[in-house]
Amino acid sequence: MSARPPDPQPAPGRTPPPDRSLIGDVHLHSESIAARVAELGAEITADYQDSDLLLISVLKGAVFFMADLARTIEVPLEMDFMAISSYQQDHEDPARRGIRFIKDLERPVEGRDILVVEDIVDTGLTLHYILRTLTLRGPRSLEVCTLLDRPYRRIADVDVRYSGFTVPDDFFVGYGFDYRQLYRNLPHLAFLNI
Amino acid sequence: MSDDGPTFAYYRGDKPPRFVTATEKQAAEILDYYRVPWEYEPRTFILDVDEHGNILEAFTPDFYLPDLDLYIEVTQMKQSLVTAKNRKVRRLRERYPEIRVKLLYKHDFIQLAKKYDLSLPS
Repeated sequence: MSARPPDPQPAPGRTPPPDRSLIGDVHLHSESIAARVAELGAEITADYQDSDLLLISVLKGAVFFMADLARTIEVPLEMDFMAISSYQQDHEDPARRGIRFIKDLERPVEGRDILVVEDIVDTGLTLHYILRTLTLRGPRSLEVCTLLDRPYRRIADVDVRYSGFTVPDDFFVGYGFDYRQLYRNLPHLAFLNI
Repeated sequence: MSDDGPTFAYYRGDKPPRFVTATEKQAAEILDYYRVPWEYEPRTFILDVDEHGNILEAFTPDFYLPDLDLYIEVTQMKQSLVTAKNRKVRRLRERYPEIRVKLLYKHDFIQLAKKYDLSLPS
């Protein structure tokens, strides 16, 4: 039996290929996700009749969920995006320490029905900051829809109105979840092997 | 443990906090990052007294978050080894049902450390 040929080495200066061994077992198949997203969309449709709905997604993890969710909601809506600074980037720089928006919304919030679409709610600290900031802008209503939830890890007691799945305390990749910016494009949600 | 290091923008207290463990300091840094006001060991709860009123047992949670009305106790120990702390938290909840308190275990901090690329104290 011939030996397996060596993996091709990346050319100098090129990024090595992603390590597929990091992708573990499937936790949620794409069909399960789609079915639950459709249920959430139906709930939101029923709750937001005659509203002025603005979906707000936090970049980048919730983008896939937001795109799929929006297409299951059968009321007129707008979408907007925000981005939050990351702890890793900031915590060594005292002048910039502290969570903040690094991309703000482009659409107005005042007087509107805001639905924050999250990929996951864990300690709730990030969401607490987002909700506190958006509240100051005077929305008519402010609710949260998350794909994944870990209510047992909550520190900040945030109110999550729509929750897709309660998940175990593991790391995931796929359907928007990344490991070092990779694997977001997997159609399912898989455990991360680290 | 020295309290040299970063100043905390969201610390609410008169004197600089003197953390006992590195885990406490990391917890403070995370709270500060999220702009959550915090106090360090602001209150001691009496859990048990004898017939003369002498304090037999008390508990001082590490942090109080006034905006969330929540006390937090952090520990670097494994969940299976924190029986005493679990018992104190349970007693606190029994005696002071209006008080909200949460115990963060080693596992919680490992998760936070992975999320935030923190180096955990050994």
